[in-house]
Amino acid sequence: MRQSVLYSILALAVLALAVIPIGIAVFYLGFVHGDSPCVMCWEQRVGMALVALVGLFVLRYGPKPKYIGLGVLIAIWGVFMGIRHTGMHAARDVGQGFSAEILGAHTYTWALLIYWVCAATMGLLLMLTRKEDIEDRPRPLGLLGTLAAVVFLVVMAGNIVQAFASTGPPPFMGQSDPVRFSFSPKHWVWSLEEWSPAPVSLRGRWAIDKPSLDGLPHDPAKGPIADTAVLPAARELRLGVPLSGTPTDLAYDPATSQFLITTEHGVYLTDETLAKLNRHAIVDAGFAVDLGRFAGAAFVDGGMVLAVGENKSFVVLEPSDKADADANFRFFLESSDRFDEKARSRFGTVRARMMYVMSAAYDPATKSVYTVTVPNNKVKTLVVSRFGPDRVLSEEFSPTLGADAGLALTGKRSLGEFYVTGATIAGGTMHAISAAFNTLLTIDLQTRSVTAARAIPGLDRPVGLAAKGDELYILGESGRVWVVGQ
Amino acid sequence: MEFLNLVVIFAAAYLVLRKPHKERLAFGLLVFSALFMAFLFSMATRTGLLPGVNY
Repeated sequence: MRQSVLYSILALAVLALAVIPIGIAVFYLGFVHGDSPCVMCWEQRVGMALVALVGLFVLRYGPKPKYIGLGVLIAIWGVFMGIRHTGMHAARDVGQGFSAEILGAHTYTWALLIYWVCAATMGLLLMLTRKEDIEDRPRPLGLLGTLAAVVFLVVMAGNIVQAFASTGPPPFMGQSDPVRFSFSPKHWVWSLEEWSPAPVSLRGRWAIDKPSLDGLPHDPAKGPIADTAVLPAARELRLGVPLSGTPTDLAYDPATSQFLITTEHGVYLTDETLAKLNRHAIVDAGFAVDLGRFAGAAFVDGGMVLAVGENKSFVVLEPSDKADADANFRFFLESSDRFDEKARSRFGTVRARMMYVMSAAYDPATKSVYTVTVPNNKVKTLVVSRFGPDRVLSEEFSPTLGADAGLALTGKRSLGEFYVTGATIAGGTMHAISAAFNTLLTIDLQTRSVTAARAIPGLDRPVGLAAKGDELYILGESGRVWVVGQ
Repeated sequence: MEFLNLVVIFAAAYLVLRKPHKERLAFGLLVFSALFMAFLFSMATRTGLLPGVNY
């Protein structure tokens, strides 16, 4: 009795799997509405058919471990296919996706749930299986089992028709962007696009190298802008304060006459000569927002300190002589009594989404933070992003050469070749230092154009830029500081 | 290729229904079909085998 009930439930499950996701997909969505699966949808559909087929095997031959095991493997692979497919569209705006939507979710998303239920059902079946349930000879399917098998064959026949029309016979294969289904051979498109050579990769377009100054070209004469003017350093200084690690950026606050220097996760406030340390702290970058390696520094909102990671995560600190060291234990690894943490979050971008940054600048006129991208192994575009007072993306652009700047690109070169490691804003104009080609760029934020490009001789791995009065301070990774006129 | 795989699945199901004594052949077709599905999906996603999201 118990065994027959289990087989009846299994037959109903096979029927449900054949009819609801696969049958509706082919006969209603496909033949009635012209829906045509993409290549990944096809495999997800085939996987569901295989799970149902495993159910038929169990109905006929009993719950042998090799059938249940294969069913679990197929279901696990199905969950992976669902995640892989859903991942392509998961980060899009609400309602956006690929092809048909059912009950508010796109079809490939439903596959996740269906496969998960299949895997759970197999596990349950395995738990309920007794030794005496495993038979040596085929068992009769019974009425319900036979019905399940016949319906399954009919649904498969429908899929074979659709697959022949949509994907064609071998070696033709499903397409990334399939054509609407039609019974007319005149509308059939059979494709070999999936067989075309393509690089094999685990993370695909998300395999972005972390930013690095190693191997960058330094000679300004070989930069993308032809005949760059030269701006020699007026004088050179050296950081006089001890840092834990190498510096990563520089900022200056005229209100308090202090410089801000960042290291990997350290913030240092010095006097205006860069010789005396006023206060510092090492931020605990773990256990919360992944701050990344600090690459940008700025004073924001009246003396508060902003440190931006290369992954555009950021922390805002307020210098305080009354900071509670114990309460701040969770935020700092060192000197937790010198700052209070005011915010820790992430800047989100659109054009700069697949790029890291190595700079940050603050414009008090608009109370906005700016970041500038560095090129990587996949994307080579110069993108300036502005984040308003709410710290949300408010503007984004790729600078062009100013019409009246008298600048020209060499051949088919691009501004995206510059590697901006420091930026500052003075009088509504952005200054950006590029570690590639040791070039200082001036960017008009109103016209979104580069109005000047000047080579700085003698720079060595510049990582930071700050404006103080009429001068620009360029900080090198070694602690050298070059001072130039604006 | 999906067409071919579905034909194989159809054949395996037919054997289960009408020729149950050919269990080994039917199971062989089932295993082939599962591996073929995994191969085709991997072919289609080989430029980014893992889910395409932020890591």
